[in-house]
Amino acid sequence: MEGIILLRDILLIYGLFAIYYVMTVNALYFAVLAFSFKNIMNIFRRSAYSKYNTLSGSELVPAVSLLVPAYNEEVTVIENVKCLLTLNYPNYEVIVINDGSKDDTLGVLVKEFELEKMANPEMRNSIDCQAITGVYHNPKYPHLFVIDKPNGGKADSLNAGINLSHYPLISSIDADSLLEKDALIRMARQYMENPEETVAIGGDVRIANGCLIENGQVKDFSLPNKMWPMFQAIEYLKAFLGGRIGWSSINGLIIVSGAFGLFRKDYVIAVGGYRGGYPGEDMNIIIKLHRYMLENKLRYRIAFCPEAVCWTQAPDTYHILSNQRKRWGRGNLKNMIENYDMAFNPKYKVMGLLTMPYNIIFEALNPYFKLTGLLALAGYVALDMTQWKILVVFGLINFLSGYLFSIGALLLEELAFKRFTKISDLFKMLFYGAFKFFGYSQLGTLWRIQGHIQYLQNNNSWGAMTRQSWKEKSETPSSA
Amino acid sequence: MPNTATLQTGIQENLYQHIEDWVKAAKQKVCGVLFLYSANGPAHLEAQVRGILESQPDLSFEVWSNEEGILAVIMPGLTLDAVHFEGLLLKQRLQETLPDLDPRITLASFPEQGEPTESVLKQMAESAKRSVTGDIHIFSKEEVKAARSRILIVDNDATIREFLQIRLQMQGYETYEAEDGLSALEMIEKLKPDMVLTELNLYGIDGLPYINHIQNMNVSKSPKIVVLTEQKVEQTISQCFQSGVEDYITKPFSPVELDARIRRCFN
Repeated sequence: MEGIILLRDILLIYGLFAIYYVMTVNALYFAVLAFSFKNIMNIFRRSAYSKYNTLSGSELVPAVSLLVPAYNEEVTVIENVKCLLTLNYPNYEVIVINDGSKDDTLGVLVKEFELEKMANPEMRNSIDCQAITGVYHNPKYPHLFVIDKPNGGKADSLNAGINLSHYPLISSIDADSLLEKDALIRMARQYMENPEETVAIGGDVRIANGCLIENGQVKDFSLPNKMWPMFQAIEYLKAFLGGRIGWSSINGLIIVSGAFGLFRKDYVIAVGGYRGGYPGEDMNIIIKLHRYMLENKLRYRIAFCPEAVCWTQAPDTYHILSNQRKRWGRGNLKNMIENYDMAFNPKYKVMGLLTMPYNIIFEALNPYFKLTGLLALAGYVALDMTQWKILVVFGLINFLSGYLFSIGALLLEELAFKRFTKISDLFKMLFYGAFKFFGYSQLGTLWRIQGHIQYLQNNNSWGAMTRQSWKEKSETPSSA
Repeated sequence: MPNTATLQTGIQENLYQHIEDWVKAAKQKVCGVLFLYSANGPAHLEAQVRGILESQPDLSFEVWSNEEGILAVIMPGLTLDAVHFEGLLLKQRLQETLPDLDPRITLASFPEQGEPTESVLKQMAESAKRSVTGDIHIFSKEEVKAARSRILIVDNDATIREFLQIRLQMQGYETYEAEDGLSALEMIEKLKPDMVLTELNLYGIDGLPYINHIQNMNVSKSPKIVVLTEQKVEQTISQCFQSGVEDYITKPFSPVELDARIRRCFN
């Protein structure tokens, strides 16, 4: 009997705690969303009234080195490199890093662009990385370099790219992403607003499944037809527009997507480049930059540029998606454990007092609260501590606040970018925004826990990813 | 003839094409062509012109007109000086009968001045229409050459393409347009234009390899390249000249300057 009373007390305390937890997390969500709304008209105006065409030919725009790590990309690499070579940007170079691919990635590049091995490539050794086997170049394509090196992971490839790069800004781009022609110049415009303090800028990543793509141009935008990419389309919209605009406005951004980001090379070198051996190197570099700038008491900002768009192919099968999410969960946990000392440390300002605690308590540990919450719920029912009406009300409030956040993100999109040209697409977004709470969100929790388990098992693999040519996609948009 | 009415509207709509076909079909060795335009011409002007020409012995001729008020007179067998004489005569007689009339005349004789293609004829008519003096304008060989030049306009921006197309057509060039690099390369191979007026920032292919590609194309005469671009980086400009472009103009551009530079490329 005593045991049951104790259990009741524990459950009661836990219930109170859970209510506050949920209230805090929702309050934070909406605070961040409010910041996003505060900034959105600025973003709209600056993208509508900037003269990107004039800027994209100006000698005054700083030169950028694009770093493109490629591992087993022989199907898509030619197309992607060709697209990257046609950006609207005055002065830039494309450095493809072949990370010991098992297929003929290097061969197809050498053949297509008639590359030759450079006799004496100038490699600086600013950052430690594996020794490279060669640099390939063709004077006919003066802005293209290809580095060949033994397999060492994405971070190591980026470091090798930094060592070869000739320009003061670097931009990391995934080999499976497609940059819009204006994306880089839009980022550079934001950089030029404040070149002294800006150390990194993130771009907006959107899902290209379902879009018609020709010659590296998104000709017709429409939402994915399959279920998995559709859920991700909502997620990305929420994360990038609802979340990152807000976080960046208080300089608390914790991640710049690895798919497309711009960095100042000197600071990336100062923090020792990218960390190898573990996924999540994109979040890691940003945390390191925050740490470095704050510890050295330098004024800085890490910005987000939602008008610079990068299109990516979202995984469209359960298997690949779950692999990706487990990898993210693993990388995220690793980063949190490595940098736990920053949390609640006033020395690290917004980063220490808000971003890190938020990410540890409400992101990394979130699945466990959800899980224990479920167990507690079972307990309440078993011990007859609750009424079904209260449960329904609680569930409904939770669902509505989450849904409101989705609608908020959609509203931001419609205020500033208006990419959805079809009304049916808008309704589809609204439908999936609600539908995602019944099954998909729970799967997300599961994947994250599985990722944490992998971390404890020391599983370091990248997991399965498949590549599909953009061309095939546009030819058969119905199956995309 | 029941067909006369339809034939007449056919000519009105497509006067220049009709003249070209007529001259080819006539198989005359020499053929004079005269265009007359008058802003305040009366309705019976065509009849007046016919009357004046008919009054001369041994002159065979055809008179056609279109909706824009352009009057075309074809005189088979006449060399340039003979056409010029007819033009002077016509002008004098017209002014005698209609003192208020202010006729503008452009004339030429083919093949002395070149080949009477549709675009050349159209250009002649345009020059009569736009002439600012009352003097008779003899359409020169250079003008014929310009009128026969084909220019491919390549730019991603539809507004710029439209502007250039209208402007260059008014100068008598035959124009074509392409939106991206790859379709431009295809069109060059197919149409063999005399000049490619192109932006460097294009979809599909990078600027410099694109220029090289055009120059190494397997065509009998590779087209002249004029770059019209936003790109102002000096290194790119010098690389373009090194690979042999005729001219490099940066946006925003002066249309007058563009005209002059294009004309210079053809001379």
